Amino acid sequence: MESELRIDPRILEEFLQMNRNILDAPKLAAAPDEIILGMTPYDVVYSEGKMRLLHFNSTQQKQVKTPLLITYALINRYHILDIHPQKSWVRNMLEQGLDVYLIDWGTPTTMDRYLGFDDYVNGYMDNCVDFILHESGIANVSMQGYCTGGTLATVYASLYPEKIKNLILTAPVIDGSRDSTVVANLAKHMDVDKMADIVGNVPPEFMYYVFSILKPFEQGLEKYVQFFKNIHNKEYVENFIRVEKWLSDTPPIPGELFREWVKNVYQDNLLIRNQMHVSGRQINLKNISMPVFTQVAVGDHLVSPECSMPIHYAISSEDKTLRMYATGHVGMIASSFSQKKVLPELGQWIKERSEK
Amino acid sequence: MSYTEEYKKSLGYYKHASVFWTDLISLMSSRPQSLMSTGPFRKLGVNAKKASAEMIEINQELAEFNARLGEYYKQLTDTWNEAQKQFSKKVPEIPTDTEHLDATKRIWIDIFENYFTRLFDSQEFAENFGKLVSSELELAKHWNNVTSLMLESVNMPTKKEIDELYKELHLLRKRVAKLEKIDNHGGNGSGK
Repeated sequence: MESELRIDPRILEEFLQMNRNILDAPKLAAAPDEIILGMTPYDVVYSEGKMRLLHFNSTQQKQVKTPLLITYALINRYHILDIHPQKSWVRNMLEQGLDVYLIDWGTPTTMDRYLGFDDYVNGYMDNCVDFILHESGIANVSMQGYCTGGTLATVYASLYPEKIKNLILTAPVIDGSRDSTVVANLAKHMDVDKMADIVGNVPPEFMYYVFSILKPFEQGLEKYVQFFKNIHNKEYVENFIRVEKWLSDTPPIPGELFREWVKNVYQDNLLIRNQMHVSGRQINLKNISMPVFTQVAVGDHLVSPECSMPIHYAISSEDKTLRMYATGHVGMIASSFSQKKVLPELGQWIKERSEK
Repeated sequence: MSYTEEYKKSLGYYKHASVFWTDLISLMSSRPQSLMSTGPFRKLGVNAKKASAEMIEINQELAEFNARLGEYYKQLTDTWNEAQKQFSKKVPEIPTDTEHLDATKRIWIDIFENYFTRLFDSQEFAENFGKLVSSELELAKHWNNVTSLMLESVNMPTKKEIDELYKELHLLRKRVAKLEKIDNHGGNGSGK
């Protein structure tokens, strides 16, 4: 008896090809554990506890004296800013003639569970800034904060405005009440006191879970189907493995810092209302009067633009710029788009406002 | 999710009966136990009641955890079923050529992504998830307490004691950093 269902032979061929690609994959792609992330050479010029201050080596002539200090986020590692030679944020900034430093927060252990905003801002960040100022012999630095690093940079700029020449906030987490992302929804209903008291540091697995439910089908299934489909595309495969490794490398977050961050930004929303305190000092956003460049991404599913944009209106700076890009949270910093659009604009902006 | 009165009553009786018998056995065995005034077995004997109470608490928390976990899976299953229904409505027939297969896959991903994102964005999901994590943390707390009792019995530092040490170390580091700043900058150590 003849079957009614007629399947296009190309479907069968695609299926067989996919199977061949899966079998070929180990021969064509490196294992994530075998590759080293971070492309641009650097020197560790200062360290304290698990934190390291990296100074990137440049082959270009410096065009401005004011150094750029990048404060990376608390989630995942800084490597995304230097993930691939053609998509490296750090390399692009160096090529534009900037002197680039970056804070690597390291991997906190149970011993670091009591580290909070005070330790990060008044301790690590301020010590890094002092070190750079001493080394370069100038009065202030340009500071860029990405994601939660943007929150830290905002708090720092409010407490030490005299040390900041220019402030760049890239998808900063500022106004939790306006954040429409899944992350914000979960954060608002989390008993952070209990978590910090019982487990200490926030386990990497917990953070990984929160991010894995953001786009479960696109990121959890389709992405891997596309990987095997493109297994013979060397550049695609290399970039994929690098980003995958970066995504899975989530260090723990110190319990106290997590408690303060979730409460002050997501639950009680104190930062944007100028009611947050760090070590007894009020964080007044009106203290931020230096030039500020805020970058947000329309398709950001981790920090929605509505969460970042209020900073533009809350500060007292007269020279302030708000740019909205048609990309996502990671696309804004590590993509061909960021190389062509985001970075040239930013580099120009910084150079125009830096000491020559 | 709330327990029924009947369930609460039987759990309460179970708790009472367990505490009653562990108390009584502890009292009855205290005389022979006191003959050995030192050593791990003595400590284990004394701590047995506390460990038993922790196990009862764990059972109680386990019921809450299971209820939350059940709700969590129910939310996921219901959403999956709704998304599948919607997909079946949009794509009533199995595609038989590659162009349609690719389009169908895209529709499937979009529908499921939309349904699940709506779930994860909802207050119901976040509330239950928050309580699920909270009940898991309660279980972890009791488990830590039982581990501490065992560690105490063999004269090992407990988690609480180590945490106190970390706190002390953290405060000392802060004080040293403050003093170093005063020394380096001649400031007042207030961070200015």
